[in-house]
Amino acid sequence: MFISDAPNGASFKVLRVLLGREVGKRLADMGFTEGAEGAVVRSGFLHGPLQVRIRGYDILIRRCEAAGIEVEPVGDWTAAEDATRLFGGFGRFGGGRHGGGRHGGGRQGAGRGRGFGRNAGDGAGEGCE
Amino acid sequence: MSPAKRKVLRVALAGNPNSGKTTLFNALTGAHHKVGNYPGVTVEKREGTRRRDGREYRFIDLPGIYSLTAYSIDEVVARDFLLDEKPDLIVDVLDSTNLERHLYLCLQFQELGIPVVGALNMSDEAEAKGIRIDEKALSTVLGVPLTKTVGSKGAGVDSLLDLIDAVADGKVASDRYVQYGEEIESRLVALERVVAADPAFAARFPARWLAVKLLEKDANAYERLADHAEAARVETLAKDSTVWLEKHYGKDAEIVVSEQRYGYIRGATREAVKIVGKPDFSMTETIDKVIMNPVLALPIFVGVLWATFQTTFLLGEYPMAWLESFFGLLAKGATAVIPDGALRSLIVDGIISGVGGVLSFVPLIVILFFLLSILEDIGYMSRAAFATDKLLHSFGLHGQSIFPMMLGFGCSVPAIMAARTLKSPRDRIVTILVIPFMSCGAKLPVHVLLAAAFFPKHAANMVMLVYAIGVVLALLSAFLLKRTVLRGAPTPFVMELPPYRSPTASGVLWHVWEKTSQYMKKAGTVILAASILIWAITNFPAYDAPPGADETTAARSALEYSAAGRVGKSIEPLFAPLGFDWRIGVATVTGFAAKEVVVSTLGILFSIGTEENEESESLREALRSDPAFNPLVAFVLMLFTLIIPPCFAALATIKAELGWKWVGFAFFFMFSLGWLIGFAVYQLGSLGGLA
Repeated sequence: MFISDAPNGASFKVLRVLLGREVGKRLADMGFTEGAEGAVVRSGFLHGPLQVRIRGYDILIRRCEAAGIEVEPVGDWTAAEDATRLFGGFGRFGGGRHGGGRHGGGRQGAGRGRGFGRNAGDGAGEGCE
Repeated sequence: MSPAKRKVLRVALAGNPNSGKTTLFNALTGAHHKVGNYPGVTVEKREGTRRRDGREYRFIDLPGIYSLTAYSIDEVVARDFLLDEKPDLIVDVLDSTNLERHLYLCLQFQELGIPVVGALNMSDEAEAKGIRIDEKALSTVLGVPLTKTVGSKGAGVDSLLDLIDAVADGKVASDRYVQYGEEIESRLVALERVVAADPAFAARFPARWLAVKLLEKDANAYERLADHAEAARVETLAKDSTVWLEKHYGKDAEIVVSEQRYGYIRGATREAVKIVGKPDFSMTETIDKVIMNPVLALPIFVGVLWATFQTTFLLGEYPMAWLESFFGLLAKGATAVIPDGALRSLIVDGIISGVGGVLSFVPLIVILFFLLSILEDIGYMSRAAFATDKLLHSFGLHGQSIFPMMLGFGCSVPAIMAARTLKSPRDRIVTILVIPFMSCGAKLPVHVLLAAAFFPKHAANMVMLVYAIGVVLALLSAFLLKRTVLRGAPTPFVMELPPYRSPTASGVLWHVWEKTSQYMKKAGTVILAASILIWAITNFPAYDAPPGADETTAARSALEYSAAGRVGKSIEPLFAPLGFDWRIGVATVTGFAAKEVVVSTLGILFSIGTEENEESESLREALRSDPAFNPLVAFVLMLFTLIIPPCFAALATIKAELGWKWVGFAFFFMFSLGWLIGFAVYQLGSLGGLA
């Protein structure tokens, strides 16, 4: 799983950062190291940046960077998404995750793998920088 | 060094962005500031002094950074300063509400071998959030003397100075650094030993710091190694150690080092920091639910932008009018005092009208910067970046470009300077190159005059249309530039989202003063010179009006006879395909002094004598009745004014920020684009029978 797969409100534990040297180091500097706990607070309109809470503060990262941070889900991600949909009201559009087409899969959890949650143009894990 | 009491202490104030560093700096130094730039770069350098009990503290406010890697120019500057200038002490300003990440930088300062004192800033906010920090225990675990401060209220400043004294006088130790665990340490110690084998080198660069950085594969550290007597030996050992580390841990060495630091911090805070209750994000979270609502964020941003400019122009109108009448009086006074002749003309028509015209914009600049620095201080700018990054990114810009581009609607000069916040040079260059397309306040009189004269029923819409075309051109140009001359991988967007905080008066006022004085300095230098130049080419060679000629005809003939007129006539073929006659061409050329000048030049060239402005009914009438003008030509002139290179002041700012090469490029690019668009619109419009 990657942060880009996490629905709004989902908590995670960082496993590793799979990005190229500079961004990878920067994310590590900012606190994305193995074992760090965090959560996705919200995502921007139409695949905009993600607001991620890590080590007690908030940071904005693009989906492309989020797709290079491997995490382990904490708690039930499906429930988290439903919760944000209730209070957010715009989660359906805001997350940009429900259209399915681009991600090649439904959003009911099962079968989301490494490649999911990436824009076609984002390239591979090293492609962010 | 013996702990004999030093009279002067050089103290570097360092820390993460959003740590309240500058506020604490203001609290420490009061009004005794000096602002400059670090040599060779555009990063601002603030210095201030404080005297207490016979000791002078020279504080240097380093740029806010997250790490001592060379990721951004700010980090390079901070790191070079600490390594090359070797201050006596570092005060690390830490946000108490976000201690883990802020301590991460602190650990890196410790490795520099310079004593570090930590200011646990915003301690009131931490208390309110239920974060209880035992600073004694934390000091003991980390080996950094710590004290609590509240920069915004000036609290804890004295105890911070006490602590600085204690460390400087050798009463309190601050010489420890993080231990990376036995396996890494054994490699580090070996590396340190080899580095220290060249004593001259080790005197310049702390061996511990260099060893850690080499292990982290830091390019800048490898560069510095070139001066080492046994560079090759150190390099081999460093590379071997890195390879070993990566094999052993199964991940990149620089990541391992980061993880060790965070692990160490985790251990320290576990002992010394207690959180009572749940961390409280409620206030910020409630506001962000609206402000950062995925769908509403962009419309809200547009609304904030609109409100900012409305307020600026609404409030700025009055002081602007006062300044204009002041310069009017000054011109009258000068006319009365100085005898008729070239000198009077130079002072009244050249200097007072040129520099005065630009200085009348100062109230707008002050208000605009006041509002924008409030938006920045409360933390809105990261939200604006969140709202716009997707849009800007698809055109090759960056979320952080939004702030400078917004300023561009006011004045390109401060906007271009504000682009310094962009970390990647390519993003910064692109942003600077497209800022002039954001139609600035000085172009507004030109648009208003032409729209009112030729599109009286739709004047406001025409002006709006020109602004919109400017924005679209900015985006498209960025798109084009990023795919041609400034090609490269996209820059990552990693940006802290600070909680909302109330702005401090000292911070906002200081910021406004800085920006305003920079603007005024430009008015006093570049604009003064340009005014004199424009005056000279429109007045020389002097023309002797035949007796009996009326004033208007004389003024027109004088201009035709002048260098500007001759040049205008000679370059007429350049402007003819756009439907401009030589007078319009000259008007656009004089616009390089300041874009408002286009209006006054049109005033002189199209009959009437003096004191023209965009409200002038007679000038509008004169333009309408002149065969050289028609609605199509007017529209092309609006577009041309929008797109061609900005005024001298803006070009000089681009030169200062990016160098001659980019000024040349910007000039060529904007002029060609303006000409081509003007040409296309005029020719197509003529074909369509609009002329």
